[in-house]
Amino acid sequence: MNPCCEVPAFEPPKSSAAALRTVVLIGPPNAGKSTLFNRLTGLRQKVANYPGVTVEQRMGLMAGVGRDDLTVIDLPGVYSLTPYTEDARVAIDVLKGKMPGTPKPDAVLLVLDSLHLTRQLMLAAPVLALGLPTLVLLNMSDLMEARGGSIDTLKLAKELGAAVAQISATQGTGLDSVRLFLNQVGTKNNGIDRQLLTLPVLGNAASTHTWAAQISRKTGYRAPLSAEGSRKLDNILLHRIWGPLLFLMVVIGVFEVVFSIGQPLSDGFGDLLSRAGELVRPLLPMGWLQSLVLDGIWKGISSILVFLPQILLLFLFIGILEDSGYLARAALIADRVMRTVGLNGKAFIPLLSAYACAVPAIMATRTIENKRDRFATILVTPFMTCSARLPVYMLLIAAFIPNRSYLHGFLGLRTIVMLGLYLAGFVAAMTTAHLLKSSILKSSETPFILELPQYRMPTVRALSMRLVDRARVFLHQAGTVILAVTMALWVLAHLPIVHAAQGGWSVPGLADSLIGRIGHLIEPVIAPLGFNWKIGIGLISSVLAREVMVSTMGTLYGADPSTHAESLQAALHSDVSLGGALALMIFFAFAMQCTSTMAVVRRETNSWKWPAVQFAYMLVLAYGAAFVVNHLVMALHL
Amino acid sequence: MLGFDVCNSDRIGRILKSDRNGRNSRVLSFRRPHGVQRVSVLSELNIGDAAMVVALDLPDSVQNQLMHLGFVPDATVKALRHAPAGDPTVYGIDGMEIALRRETAQAIRVKYAELDLQDDEFELLEAGR
Repeated sequence: MNPCCEVPAFEPPKSSAAALRTVVLIGPPNAGKSTLFNRLTGLRQKVANYPGVTVEQRMGLMAGVGRDDLTVIDLPGVYSLTPYTEDARVAIDVLKGKMPGTPKPDAVLLVLDSLHLTRQLMLAAPVLALGLPTLVLLNMSDLMEARGGSIDTLKLAKELGAAVAQISATQGTGLDSVRLFLNQVGTKNNGIDRQLLTLPVLGNAASTHTWAAQISRKTGYRAPLSAEGSRKLDNILLHRIWGPLLFLMVVIGVFEVVFSIGQPLSDGFGDLLSRAGELVRPLLPMGWLQSLVLDGIWKGISSILVFLPQILLLFLFIGILEDSGYLARAALIADRVMRTVGLNGKAFIPLLSAYACAVPAIMATRTIENKRDRFATILVTPFMTCSARLPVYMLLIAAFIPNRSYLHGFLGLRTIVMLGLYLAGFVAAMTTAHLLKSSILKSSETPFILELPQYRMPTVRALSMRLVDRARVFLHQAGTVILAVTMALWVLAHLPIVHAAQGGWSVPGLADSLIGRIGHLIEPVIAPLGFNWKIGIGLISSVLAREVMVSTMGTLYGADPSTHAESLQAALHSDVSLGGALALMIFFAFAMQCTSTMAVVRRETNSWKWPAVQFAYMLVLAYGAAFVVNHLVMALHL
Repeated sequence: MLGFDVCNSDRIGRILKSDRNGRNSRVLSFRRPHGVQRVSVLSELNIGDAAMVVALDLPDSVQNQLMHLGFVPDATVKALRHAPAGDPTVYGIDGMEIALRRETAQAIRVKYAELDLQDDEFELLEAGR
């Protein structure tokens, strides 16, 4: 307590003063809890404009409002306290203090979207019935007022028996009320006085709705007019003909930009990196250290770092699609395709976000109600072309596919090949889903219920946060896994040290080194695919993560005296046949080379059986497809 | 399956009287036979039509979820648009847009709104709710 304030008339009971440690954020999906969480903690949790972005609880300290002694928990959105999905079950368990490892909450911040308050108030009944100190936050109040809505917050506070405040989490207004509420919780009893409150029969949706409608009427709630803009935009984006066409154009446009703008950026960045390496060269003593640092580590790491601009561009586009609210429309357009393979249209949202990375996408499947549908989605998600495949594709396409363009420069051959690879992954995912849904994961069809959020302009703040986070993940990966792998490869490429004929010690030629021997050992297995032993080593090391392939190639061709001076693209071009290169791309499209994905599949399915089956299935498919492609190219004498 | 057609009706449920030649003439609303109400299901709504929810014939969990999205008895629902492939359909309810597949919408019983609302009137009604 603040010592400068007047001495209180009585000591508040110690237990209640010490009680406030954990505050929980709860609210319906897409009400803005995560945005508020970021405001309260100063952390950067992922936010986007569709229901179900948050699928697990997240904790942080309330540093954003100067209360870093308090823990705040962000929860997945729920409509009621009866769970129908995995993410809702998490939210309800945490809220009721039943989640092992998560502290029991002492106070609740109920976040409601004030644009649709009547419906959102339905959640207030079961939450208030918990009897915890509760502050009701009417979020997006700026939008509500701008669109001519209004509400009497004092009356609402009286009706609910809880404090009510209007905030805007995106603008950061009204956060003072949260600070005030938190300061009061410990000092006076402002738990819910349940005797004054008449709550509906809990668990009965109809009576809860009547109760909510009554309250919103009594408090003079006037809902804002729904934004005309969203409907007008949907007239085009969900148009019978223009809708799917625009969807296709968006996808093609993304890749064109990633190539036409991203490639020069990456090339420039690559120049910069190799020049930086040359600047360091005189500083290092000649001999093994220089070779390890520059030819081993720096060649390996910079060969993957050059793809940072292109990956960030891709993430920028995915961010715009997610934050604007278009993703939900894409799910609507795709529902027809999804239902023919026996999946729910809702599965399309995780599948689309798997274009960034399969790990969060697999977690996002928690919003799918039906367990069998959810497992089928988890099993096919790694087929979607994640951003870790992008460097491999980019490297091989730049090395092997000529830069031709069609349709007056609108469509490049390289873009077509890239789109083909994305399409191959998607088709494999759909076919596999169909197989699963018509055999081991058969289930009755589950209803498709999808909320279409209103379009919102993505904010520069949110987009730049995503990019910074992504860049950090990428650099972290390069600084840990890739660094370790390149060092190990360099060491293996220089062992065993042999006694040279002229006296003294010398390192073996690459083919005679340990890595060369391992490579030659596995060569017979991969030779039918058109792969040489260096690619074989790359395939083994890329089981850790796909992009390790590129750095492995960088290190191996850098360590080989015959290709030492060439760029990686040129070295590959002279060492691998076209059939082998195309087969390699197809292999990467289908194979499961990601330990993080396997770990998350194991966690979400709660058994090693599923990731093992998935790994084997994808490997067989990848091998078969690569074999066919290689032999097809050879037969056609391309 | 649930409609009990007493007479013919037009697409928004106004009672029609047809003569022997098959020509329809509208029965004035004050002369509508008492107790006759056009009941239908949500999937029968044409785009732009509004109706009131009567009941949901769905498994408990789905019903509960839809009710929390605003599909409660007496709520006004309007068919807004079909997805480009014709299904699912987007419905406007409680100021929100919710997409449902045909077979779900078939299980939601509705009665046509008494008034033949114009688009802007519907907006006002929706806003006032």
